[in-house]
Amino acid sequence: MNGLQAGVWYAIAAEHDLPKDHVYRTMLGGHELAAWRSTDGGVHVWEDRCPHRGVRFSLGEVVGDELRCQYHAWRFGKTGACTFIPAQPDLKVPRTIHAAVWPVALSAGLVWSGIEPIGAPPALPPGAVLRAIPIARPAASVAHALVKEPLAGLALVLQPLDETATIVRGIALDDDLVRADHALLALRRRLEQAA
Amino acid sequence: MILYDAHHLAPCYAVRLLAGCLGATLDLKPLDVYPGHANQTEAFLALNPLGTLPVLVDGPCLITDWLEALAHLALTHDRAWFPAEHAALIGWLGMARDLGASAGAARLIDTFGAPGDAAAARAQANALLDEVERRMWFGERIGQDWLIEGPHPSIADLACFVFIAPCEDGGLSLRDRPALRRWCDRVRFLPGFVSMSGVFPPMANTGR
Repeated sequence: MNGLQAGVWYAIAAEHDLPKDHVYRTMLGGHELAAWRSTDGGVHVWEDRCPHRGVRFSLGEVVGDELRCQYHAWRFGKTGACTFIPAQPDLKVPRTIHAAVWPVALSAGLVWSGIEPIGAPPALPPGAVLRAIPIARPAASVAHALVKEPLAGLALVLQPLDETATIVRGIALDDDLVRADHALLALRRRLEQAA
Repeated sequence: MILYDAHHLAPCYAVRLLAGCLGATLDLKPLDVYPGHANQTEAFLALNPLGTLPVLVDGPCLITDWLEALAHLALTHDRAWFPAEHAALIGWLGMARDLGASAGAARLIDTFGAPGDAAAARAQANALLDEVERRMWFGERIGQDWLIEGPHPSIADLACFVFIAPCEDGGLSLRDRPALRRWCDRVRFLPGFVSMSGVFPPMANTGR
C-alpha cells in the first residue's frame, strides 16, 4: 500500500527539523503526519489531524508541552490525550478525545516512525545528516536507481510519501553536505526527467 | 502616512506587515479592487497611472512600487531592516518580485479568478521555492535565521514571506520544504507581526 510496509521503521524527519515550538509536517505512505518536540526533548509523531474538526495539527502551535490546534485551540499533551477545551473550560475532558499517535524512534540524527515497526531502526554509519530531497518518483523506482548507481559516500534511506513521490534522507559519511546535496539533486533531475 | 491598500494583495500586506514590525502607523485607505476594480477609476489612475497597489504617500513622497515602499519605511524608521551593505539584499528583493510573478500569480488565479496560466506560474514557483528552501536550509546550518546574513530580519524576509506563507492557496505546498516552514514561523513570531487572510497569526499570546 503506497509503498509502505508494516513492521518497518521509516525516517520521516531529521532531528534538526524539530526545533522547539514548531510543528513539523510530512507524509508517510499517504498518511499525513505532524511531529513536535516537548520540553524534555522527546519527539511526538501524530496523525496530522485534530480529532475535533479534522484541521491539520501542523497548522497549530506548540505551547510548552502541549500542541494547540489552530481551529478551536483544543490542547493535547505528550500522550496525545486532549487536556483542555477552551469553549468548555470547566469540562473534565473525556479520555476518548485523543490524537492518533504513531511510534517514534530517534537514531542517527533522524526521526523514525512506521506502522507497528519491529525492533530498532536500521543502523547508519556516523556522519552528517543530509538535507532531505523529495523526488517525484515512487520509492521502488528511487531504490532501483540507487542500487544500479550507488552514490558514493552516502548512506541513504527512503521515505515513501505516497505512490508517486519519495523523500531521500540519510548521512554524508565525509560530512560534506554541499557535495551530497549536488549528488541528490542530480539524482532527482535524472529520475524526474526520465519519467 | 497614507497607504492605498487592498487586504488580499500580498504586496499591500508586505507594507502593512513591515509597518507593524516597525511600530509605524499607517492611515489605511482600503480600495475595492476585487470585484470592484476601484484601482481603475480615473481618481486612482491620477495617483498611480499603472493602477497597481499599494501606493504609499508620506508627505511629499508618493511611492507606487511596493518594494520601494518597504525600503522607504525601513530607511525612515529603522535601517536594521535595510542591510544595504549586503549585495544579497538586491538579489532577495528580485527573488521576491519573481515569487510575486509566480507563486503570487498562482494564488490570484486560483482564488480571485485573475487571468493567467496557473500551471506555468506553479512550475516557476516550484523552482524558486526549492531554491529558497535550499539556501535557507544551508543558512540554518551556520545559524542564520534570516535570508540575509546577520541577526536581524530585513525587508527581503517580509517581501518573500507574503508570497511564500499563503502559497498553498495557489496550489503549491510547503510540506516538503521544512526550512521554509520554520522560517515562516520565525517571521510569524516577530514582534508587531500582523496577519492576512490565509496567514495564521501566532496564537501563543492570545490568551486562548
